Amino acid sequence: MTPRLRLYIVIGLTGAVLAAAIYFPILKRRVKRQAKVQQQSEEQARRELVQSLAKNTNGPLSKAKLFWASEADESDLAPTTVDLPLSNDPALRSKQVLDTLLAGPVDSELRTLPPDAALLAFYILPDGTAIADFSEALATSIPSGVQSEQLAVDSITKTLEANVPQVRRLRILIHGQQVETLAGHLDLTGAFPVSTPATPASPQATTPSRK
Amino acid sequence: MVVLDPAHGGTDPGARGVGGVRESDIVLDLATQVRHGLEAQGFQVLQTRTANENPSFDDRSSLANAQTGAIFVTLHISSTGIASTVRVYAMRDMAPPQTNGGLILWEQAQAPYLSLSRKLGDVIQGELGQKFKGSPANVQTASVRQLRTTAAPAIAVEISNVTISDKAEMDRMLSGVADSIVRGVVAFRPSYVTPAVAGIPPGVKQ
Repeated sequence: MTPRLRLYIVIGLTGAVLAAAIYFPILKRRVKRQAKVQQQSEEQARRELVQSLAKNTNGPLSKAKLFWASEADESDLAPTTVDLPLSNDPALRSKQVLDTLLAGPVDSELRTLPPDAALLAFYILPDGTAIADFSEALATSIPSGVQSEQLAVDSITKTLEANVPQVRRLRILIHGQQVETLAGHLDLTGAFPVSTPATPASPQATTPSRK
Repeated sequence: MVVLDPAHGGTDPGARGVGGVRESDIVLDLATQVRHGLEAQGFQVLQTRTANENPSFDDRSSLANAQTGAIFVTLHISSTGIASTVRVYAMRDMAPPQTNGGLILWEQAQAPYLSLSRKLGDVIQGELGQKFKGSPANVQTASVRQLRTTAAPAIAVEISNVTISDKAEMDRMLSGVADSIVRGVVAFRPSYVTPAVAGIPPGVKQ
């Protein structure tokens, strides 16, 4: 090996080490950024998946029966048929019909629930008890009174009864909390019966021994 | 014995109408009128509140539950509904009462009284229906929190509505509603037989 060649090799190696020393931190930063982006897109994908499950936009449309106030008598309810891509999953199906109920009818006078209220979560327990968690606006924006509060609850239970046979009874929470009344009148401490036919007798509903 | 419950009060004004009208004030006025009418008919009357205060639901119920053979009427003005109509509510169906050593649980105190409450409600709604056109002919049912823990024939009377800003119209309504409640209670009284629960022997007429 000529001394000239040795010099070239030394210069080449030194250059490579310097280049690596400069490039390594940049590469590290890029890897970090990339990992973050990937995490975000995973979250995004998960969100989109849940949304598309809830909306199920590509599914075939079925007839959902929603209960808003009746045009003939605003103190009563009347069914309206709406085409919705209903899911087969009872909890998702419940969310779909309740979201549509909250969105309101074409004639906003016939609303039963405040326009700013939202359904935060919906669960169905194995015994058929459903738990619907609404945002605070359901309680604070509803006109207070026995009639308006009962109409709101009836529109929810009747809509579930007509579309989700798996729901037997319903508990309503406000922002994750159990509350005493909806807006000062209607009792929210218990469960509302939803589908009455063929309801198996619950342990609480046994005949009392009257003395 | 009749227990009158002017709803809301204190920090809770209830429904609010135009010009600062508050449900809590109107129902207090209504309670006073019903009280005078009932006292004139020989009834003893208690009120859950006589000032601008807000007892709890349980405190209000307990005033009736501490009496034997009481009748409980909770008074409301709504913020919705066709103006100048009045509705009477009895408690909606409850699970059959659970007894605990012959005593009814507080949480289900109304259960043994459901049919009596409906009878009382029908009589008073009948009176109201004649005076206030557009009101229902029969008692309605609703899951009213105040009624659930009340161990007596118990109804909620709800006037529509707080947006009536004409003072003369509201006064005319209040005296008409008060008169209907008094007539209804008088008509209901002979049929009031305390249910056989809570250690009270059956058939005790109050």
